[in-house]
Amino acid sequence: MRYLALLVMAVVVWSGSCAYGASDHIGIVKTVSGEVSVVRGGRSIAADPNFRLQEGDVIRTGPSGKAGLILEDDTVISLGPGSSIAITNFLFQPNERKLSLVARVLQGTISYLSGQIAKLMPSAVRLETPRATVGVRGTHVLIEVD
Amino acid sequence: MLKTWGWALFLILLVSTGCAGKKTVVVLAPDPDGKVGSIAVTGEGGSVVIDAPYRGTTIGDDRNPTPPEDLGKARVEKTFGAALSVQPLRPLHVILYFGEDTSLTAASERLLPEILAAIAARKSVDIMVVGHTDSLGSREYNMDLSRRRAQTVKELLVKKGVPASAIQTTSHGKENPLIPTPDNVAEPRNRRVEVVIK
Repeated sequence: MRYLALLVMAVVVWSGSCAYGASDHIGIVKTVSGEVSVVRGGRSIAADPNFRLQEGDVIRTGPSGKAGLILEDDTVISLGPGSSIAITNFLFQPNERKLSLVARVLQGTISYLSGQIAKLMPSAVRLETPRATVGVRGTHVLIEVD
Repeated sequence: MLKTWGWALFLILLVSTGCAGKKTVVVLAPDPDGKVGSIAVTGEGGSVVIDAPYRGTTIGDDRNPTPPEDLGKARVEKTFGAALSVQPLRPLHVILYFGEDTSLTAASERLLPEILAAIAARKSVDIMVVGHTDSLGSREYNMDLSRRRAQTVKELLVKKGVPASAIQTTSHGKENPLIPTPDNVAEPRNRRVEVVIK
């Protein structure tokens, strides 16, 4: 019974990310060193430089992998080895003041360098970790999740 | 199908186990230009504000961020050195201004070396060139003019050795002024092309 509930949850998550798949890209993987992959809709895709990211993607690095991302609002995020981060929510339409960036650090070491969303509307940026949430005002944040 | 479900399950487990027994450290670092911002770190047990560089807080099982302490630049760079070593440069935005037609102003022409240097530094294959006009004239005329302005900039860059495939041009006509004006107003600050180098 518990498995059934998990499966239902899995399908909800999975179909949810498929719906996002239709939207335009939200940024790119700019720098790649070693093993870097993107988990999208339950599938793992190897990421080359200039790989186009979508909302809902989870970016992961292998034990000796490193990666640097640039989002459409100029936010810069980089990952050390054995790290993963989910770009849960990304909305950048400055003309309509539709702005949101929610990223969840799941594991490893992450550097976040704020972009235009943080400049235009600091409250629209949230960095989540398993233990705490970080709110930023135009700045450079380093997060380690053991 | 079963395999896909398996992956999705794995993801969920990853997320849910991520909530148990994971120590989190959050550190504030200076921006590349040396400025220092501020962050608020909030757990279920409380909240702290950090506004000085290389100060950090640790959040353990009690979900209560510790009072911020100075971790020291060396220690922070040791922990985060690998991540920082691949941190891409921030994208550069440059605005080039035009006369009434497709000729660059002299001041804007002098910015071309800076643009080329930024493309080289970033090994950029993702250069956006966006043309704009002021509101003088019809929508169609300005759409075409902004397209020709963007094309002019693209050709200048290609002539300097930037691969054409690395440059994407778009044109906004008079729809996206930098300085909002009524219709049919000459405004030199709106006669422009924005170049974004990633």
